Amino acid sequence: MSSITRRTFTQGALAGSGLAMGGLMAPGMIRPAVAADRLMVVQWGAQWIDVSKQLLTKYQQTSDTQVAWELHSGGAAAVVAKIKATWPNTQYNVLSVWDPVFRSLMAEDWLVPVDENIVTNLKTIPDQFIQKNAAGQKMTIPLSTAGAFWGYREDLLPGGFESIEDLLKPEFKGKLCVPYPINLTGLFIVSCAIQRGGDEKNAEPGWEFVKELAKAGQIGEICTSNSEYINAMATGQYSVGFWNNGGWFATAKNFPVKIMNRMPDNKGFLYNEGFCVLKGAPEKAAFEFANFFADPANNEIYNMNLGSGPTQPTAKTNPKLDGWYYAPDELGKHAYFADFAYLGKVMNEWNARWEKEIVPLVRG
Amino acid sequence: MKRPGLTASMLWPALIVILPLLFGPLLVLLHESLKPHIAGRVGGDATSALTLENYALLAGPEYAQYFLDTFRIGLISTVLALMLGYPMAHFIVRRASPIMRRILIASLIGTLFLSLIVRIYAISMTFGSLGPLAGFSRLLGIAPTSPSVAELMVVLGLLNTTMPLVALTLIGTIQNINPRLEDAALSLGAPHWKTFVQITLAMSVPGILSAGIIGYAFCISNLVVPMLVGRGFVLFVSNLIYFRFSEVANFPSGAALSIVMMVISLGIFYGLLHLVRTQWQEAGK
Repeated sequence: MSSITRRTFTQGALAGSGLAMGGLMAPGMIRPAVAADRLMVVQWGAQWIDVSKQLLTKYQQTSDTQVAWELHSGGAAAVVAKIKATWPNTQYNVLSVWDPVFRSLMAEDWLVPVDENIVTNLKTIPDQFIQKNAAGQKMTIPLSTAGAFWGYREDLLPGGFESIEDLLKPEFKGKLCVPYPINLTGLFIVSCAIQRGGDEKNAEPGWEFVKELAKAGQIGEICTSNSEYINAMATGQYSVGFWNNGGWFATAKNFPVKIMNRMPDNKGFLYNEGFCVLKGAPEKAAFEFANFFADPANNEIYNMNLGSGPTQPTAKTNPKLDGWYYAPDELGKHAYFADFAYLGKVMNEWNARWEKEIVPLVRG
Repeated sequence: MKRPGLTASMLWPALIVILPLLFGPLLVLLHESLKPHIAGRVGGDATSALTLENYALLAGPEYAQYFLDTFRIGLISTVLALMLGYPMAHFIVRRASPIMRRILIASLIGTLFLSLIVRIYAISMTFGSLGPLAGFSRLLGIAPTSPSVAELMVVLGLLNTTMPLVALTLIGTIQNINPRLEDAALSLGAPHWKTFVQITLAMSVPGILSAGIIGYAFCISNLVVPMLVGRGFVLFVSNLIYFRFSEVANFPSGAALSIVMMVISLGIFYGLLHLVRTQWQEAGK
């Protein structure tokens, strides 16, 4: 009679367990646990986060990647300061920002070049939308063609205006809602400069025009975020403004809005918004996530409610945006592509100038 | 038996936490304020020599005006909070029934739990140019569309958050005044108003100043209220600091503003504390 010793029992148990595990794993019945990737994505609030969450639900039907959202506070440039404070240990992986912020992030060398083997949808996005680094590597995944324009609420201002010079008339006193100069990276000042024959590099005429508006009491509110602008225009307190397509589109949902992007003596600003991936992110998961949003069908859904145009040529634009953007032959006449690399360098100076020269005037 | 060694050693846990959390970041801030900023880059340039340029740029009269506005509007709000908070605290301590007292104290504490954003937007919607109380500004001689309305809204916003804080602080002060002193004065023939002014109010002065200091600190350091209802016309120094750190990434200039603001604020508070100690300490006992 054979006796069972502790050693033989242990050996048998281990061998049995090993065989059992091997047998189960071979046909794939048990797979080793793999932690799902986690992404921290920074996105704008309002319609941006709504549509992003909608698309995420669709994405997670085929992906285990977990996504946590954080919203931009104020302008998108604010995220740059947050990253700087903790770099290289930032918690963020994917950022939804726009051209000037892409420029700042690239200047700091914080972005990972786009892996085109994963972001296959980048191939069909026009090359001029994509921001590249000094080595010519593609650094961004553009999702929207967006813009900043003058406009007004037609219900409050039936006659409208033909030129922003008209805004100096007494009937516009206190009716203008404009961005703080650092919001929209100074495009408001550039627009005023263009009005008086200048541009971003010759902004002095613009400053003079803003001073005239401020001195005359035409500026009713200076906004620092999309939500603030949308709320301000919704109150009916202000009828004229200069803001981005997102702010105008949200206003246009409830009120008749006229976008003044074809004025004979001024221009509409065009730029791109989209994703970029920060160094230190789980790159495969981050690029797969971005690629999903860049898919033509998803790109159409993404932009449909933002008041922006898709970057995928086959995606349809919201029919309500008819006339908001330009046909190719109109670009030269009405569109303006600002030099954001230059504007990024003068923002600090313009901010100080606004504090010193404009705020005292608007306070009267 | 006194054991000074034991008492001193009990301070260490707090010091170990406070030193790195408070003084460490302040030193970092001071160092940042001395770095030059390169346009278009984020933060200060660590490779260049330290400079006082960030402080020099703030020396203009325009920036002095921002400091003056911050301290002036903060002072107006604090004084109003004291003027409204004191009678409320007095009523709660001296006049209210136990049930009413509980209700009022709970209401004051309850308002502190309400989100500041909610309260500020409520004020904006109520007193804004299209709100039901839009005409309120006219009572003060301010046209509803005037830029001065922005300042009024900031004062109302600060008052809304400061008054409960001030009233709750003053409840303790008034409660500590022995009511028999008032009774004695009245029984000796002093009129009510004189009893109130010469006994209750006089003995409350240290508490009023303490509550004022708390309220004032809250007001002048506030970022959200001027940002939400200041319409971009009323900017506190905190807003300027925020824009520098958050929007234009000029950390050195933001740090210099923060240091200047801190030094001025500390000067004011130590001045007020000195005043309390030297002038009213005895009356408060």
